[in-house]
This record gives sequence, C-alpha cells and structure tokens, in this order.
Amino acid sequence: MRNTAKERFINTGYYIGYAVIVIFFVFPLFWAFSLSVKNVPELFATPPILFPSDPKFENYAYVLQNTDVLTYLGNSFLIVFATILFVLLIAIPAAYAFSRMEFRYKGLALIAILIFQMVSPVVVAIPLYRFFAQFHLLNNYISLIAVYVAIGLPIATWFLRGYFDSIPKELDEAAIIDGCSRLQLVWKVLLPVCAPGIASVTILVGVQSWSQFVIPFILLDDNHLFPVSVGIVNLQSTTNAITTHYLAAASIISILPVIIVFILLQRYIVGALTSGAVKG
Amino acid sequence: MTDARVDEVKTSSKAQKRSFIQVLGNTPIPWILPLALILICIFLYPIIEIVRLSFTNASLVGDDYSYTLSSYTSLFTSPGFIKMLWVTGFFVGFSVLFQMAFGFVIALMIDQGTKRNLVGTVVTRTAVLSAWAIPGVIIGIIWSLLYSETESGILNYFLSLAGVTNPVAFLSDPINALISVTVANVWRGTAFSMIFVYAGLQTFPNDVIEAAKIDGAGAFQRLFKVIIPILKPIILVNLIVITVETFNTFDMVMALTGGGPGRSTEVIALSIYNQIFNNFHLGEGAAAAVLLLVINIALTVVYFRFLEKGSKEGRA
Repeated sequence: MRNTAKERFINTGYYIGYAVIVIFFVFPLFWAFSLSVKNVPELFATPPILFPSDPKFENYAYVLQNTDVLTYLGNSFLIVFATILFVLLIAIPAAYAFSRMEFRYKGLALIAILIFQMVSPVVVAIPLYRFFAQFHLLNNYISLIAVYVAIGLPIATWFLRGYFDSIPKELDEAAIIDGCSRLQLVWKVLLPVCAPGIASVTILVGVQSWSQFVIPFILLDDNHLFPVSVGIVNLQSTTNAITTHYLAAASIISILPVIIVFILLQRYIVGALTSGAVKG
Repeated sequence: MTDARVDEVKTSSKAQKRSFIQVLGNTPIPWILPLALILICIFLYPIIEIVRLSFTNASLVGDDYSYTLSSYTSLFTSPGFIKMLWVTGFFVGFSVLFQMAFGFVIALMIDQGTKRNLVGTVVTRTAVLSAWAIPGVIIGIIWSLLYSETESGILNYFLSLAGVTNPVAFLSDPINALISVTVANVWRGTAFSMIFVYAGLQTFPNDVIEAAKIDGAGAFQRLFKVIIPILKPIILVNLIVITVETFNTFDMVMALTGGGPGRSTEVIALSIYNQIFNNFHLGEGAAAAVLLLVINIALTVVYFRFLEKGSKEGRA
C-alpha cells in the first residue's frame, strides 16, 4: 500500500511538471490570440484582460481585407512547395550515390556538405545579393528558390544517405539480377522503401523553408513577392500601439497553417525528428 | 557507301551511345552533378567571395575597389566589436545552457511519463515542439507583445502580482533587453534539444536502468552514472548543432529588438547585416561574416571528428 501512495505522489509531481511546461510554451501563443480578439480599450485595460468577454473576430476580417497577409501566405506556399520538390529531385539521387557508390573525395564532399549545413545564411546572402543585383536577379523567384533549395539540400542529402544506408544492399543486388537499370532500381525499388525517410525530409525542409527569413529579406524588396516571414516584419514596422490587435491577428493567421499541419502530423514529425537526431 | 553499311554504322553508334549512358550511369557523376552545381554556385562561390570581399574596400554594389587589410583592422579596433562579442557570447552561452538543461529535463519527464502510462505526455510534447515550427520573426513579434512595458503588459502584470512594484523595462533597458532576448530564444530552441535527448532515450537499452535499479542505485545515481554517460554522444552532437544555430540567429532578434536599444542586443549575424545594409560598410561587414564563418567551420570540424570517432567505435 505504501508503494502505491508513493507512486501516486510521484505521478502528481509529473503532472505538475507537465502543467508548468505546457503553460510556459502555450501561454505566449494564447496571449497573442487573446490580444488579437480585443478592441482598443481592452488592449490598454489594467489589469490586462486574459479572456475578452466579447471576442472581436472581426479583427481577423479587417486584417485579411486591409493587409497583404493572404498574398504573403500564398507566396510562402508557392516557395515552400517548389523548394521541397527540387530538394527531393536533387537530394535523392545524390544520397543514393553517397550511400551505394565508392568514389574519390567522397569523404571530402560529405564534410563540405556538412559545413554548408552549418554556414549562416547571412554569410552567403551578401555575395549573392551583389551577384544577383549585377544580373538583375533580385525580386526573382527562380533565383530565390534556388537559394532556398541550396539551403535545404545539405540536411536532406545527409538524412537520405543515412536512410539508404539502413536499407540492405541485397535488395539492390536482387533488382539488378532481375535486369533493373540503376535508375529503375532507385525509382521502383528503393523509393517505395524510403517513403518514410522522404516524408521526414519533406517535413524538415518544409518547416525550415517556411521559417526562412534572412534570404528573402535580403533578396526581395517587392512587397507583392514577400513570403509570410518578411511580410509580417513589414507589417510590424507599420503598426503602432493602437493597432497591436491587428498585428497579433496577422501573427496568428500566419502561424495557423503550420500549427494545423503540425497537430495533424505530429506523430510523423516526432518520428522525422527523432530518426534525424539519431542519424546525426 | 551502300545502304547496308550506313545502317551498320548507325546501329553501332547507337549501341555505343547506349553503353556510354550506361557507363555514365554507373559512375557517381550524373547522380551528384545537380547537387554539386547548386552547392558550388550558392555556397562555395559566395564563401570564397565573402573572404575576398573582406580584404577589399568594396561597397555593396559596383566594381570599384582595391585590396586592403583595413576592414579587419577597423573591425577589431572598433569599440563596438568587443561589445558585440560580449553580447553574442552572453546570448549563445546562456541560450545553449538553458536549452540543453530544459530540453534534457523535459525529454526525461516525457519519456518516464510514457513508461508510467501517464496521460498528457503527447500534449506536452506537442506544446514544446510547436515552438520549433513557428518562424523566428513571429516568435520575436509574439514575445515583443508579452514584454510590453506599459501597465497593460502581461508579464509586468504577473510580476506586479508577485510583488514587483515598478514595471520592468524588458526591452528598453540594455541589460534587461539582452536577458529578454535570451529568454525568448530559450523558449524557441528548447524543443530541438528535447527531441534530440528524447530520440536518444528511445534507443536506450531499458534493461540497463532496470539493472541499476536492482543494484540499488538511487534516482540521481541512475541519472549521473547511467543515463548521462550513455547519452553523452547525443548530448555532444546536440551541443554543437544548437551552438551553431544560436550563433547564426538573426530573425528572432531582428523582430524582437532590432539589435537595440543602441546596439545592446546586436548579436553577430545581426551586426553583419547592419554593417552592410544600414551603414554600407561592406568590407567591415564581410570581415565580421568571415569571423562567423570561421566559427561555423571550426564547430563543424569538431562535429565531424566526433562523428568519425563514433562510427569507428561503433564498428569496433
């Protein structure tokens, strides 16, 4: 009996811990939501109001109609989608070669890719800005997406290489004996087996690209081309204290897609992250 | 030439072509060429270019410049430089310390909770991880709302409930601002450390802990003598990755303080940007960028050494 009492005591400790953690991580988001459904007097009320009695959802309508938030979201979707597509198209064959072929300077190439993974985007953005300015490639989605793809490639290549490594080579040999070319082997045999790994890379590169800020901030200055990260900073610079509720609403709108995807896919995301972490 | 011979030549060249493609397909070249091209254009070329620019007096646009060391001398001797190093050091040091500590504790709690069949582990995990998925600039904006210094600011209200009489100048006082930025960054980065440690715990040989329990090891002994030593490799990798990430942080600080007040929260990545795009000192900014690059590469080399050592030990 004493033991169960002790267990119950420990469990209560865990629950209190969970509550503290959840409050610490959710409260900032809750507060932004709370601000987003207030009117001006409520914004300045003291003591501050946590739950406005009459939430003003019309603030959201105002933001959608009077700012370019929807354009920014659309731009972000386009950029992220194109980035994921090209990252996969380029990283899958490269990861296959790094996993299954032996060639000179392979180790050197892998360490170079790892270094690129660690290099700050600010460092590469400056020469790229000069270069793109010279060739009139600023405010251009093709050059912009090329940079996004380059930033996503190192982690995708390393991750997928690890995934290919975990697939037994006997599978390749069997396919070759059956008369598959290498291309058919990758496309028809290895890709289906790699589907979970590819899903993980999609999630990792998707989140990374959705959050990307420095690159579009430096390479774009046309408001209609901004992704949501740059657009919201632009919006922030034009808001003041009495439009805080609109800024909060715009912030909530721009994280809503991520949060929805996140909660729906959370099981897979944890899988993606944990397998990524273990494989380095 | 007769028709038959022409046909013969055609087929043989066709056969040659096919075999050439097949041979090429068996070399790594076509498989890694796209990757190599894009990484050379968008990483290698800019890296070489930034090093070159750091030894010039070039401006942001235009081709008129000469080679000089003045960027480095003026960077290292400027009074702001030492301060920027301090600010960056504080930001990186405390961010990494608390992200590791919180990430470790939370991962352990979720792992243990799952083993005890407690409800709420998934909710807790999701709450922490959602911070990872939110763009840094939006985290900066949300925290700037929390840090509001007026009487209707929520954190100041909580502090007043706790007995603090004067509103705290979270963002307008230089020292407070640096602490505030670091706290927001810990909020953002803890998820990453948590997932690393959590992943490590998933691969954990459970019988090891049971054996330690049977041998009479207390909770703290189990933690320091069993769990931490086994997780050491993953903790080290985590340490390097988040250190690099924190050195590279730009977006969150930009949205939260813009580096201010004054330059009191101007971490290195932000300082590079301001030097170049606000003060138009390309050379000096490039020199600072080279410094950041050296930090990035040094940490990567440590990481790679470590990976190599790990895989050799794993094979042995």
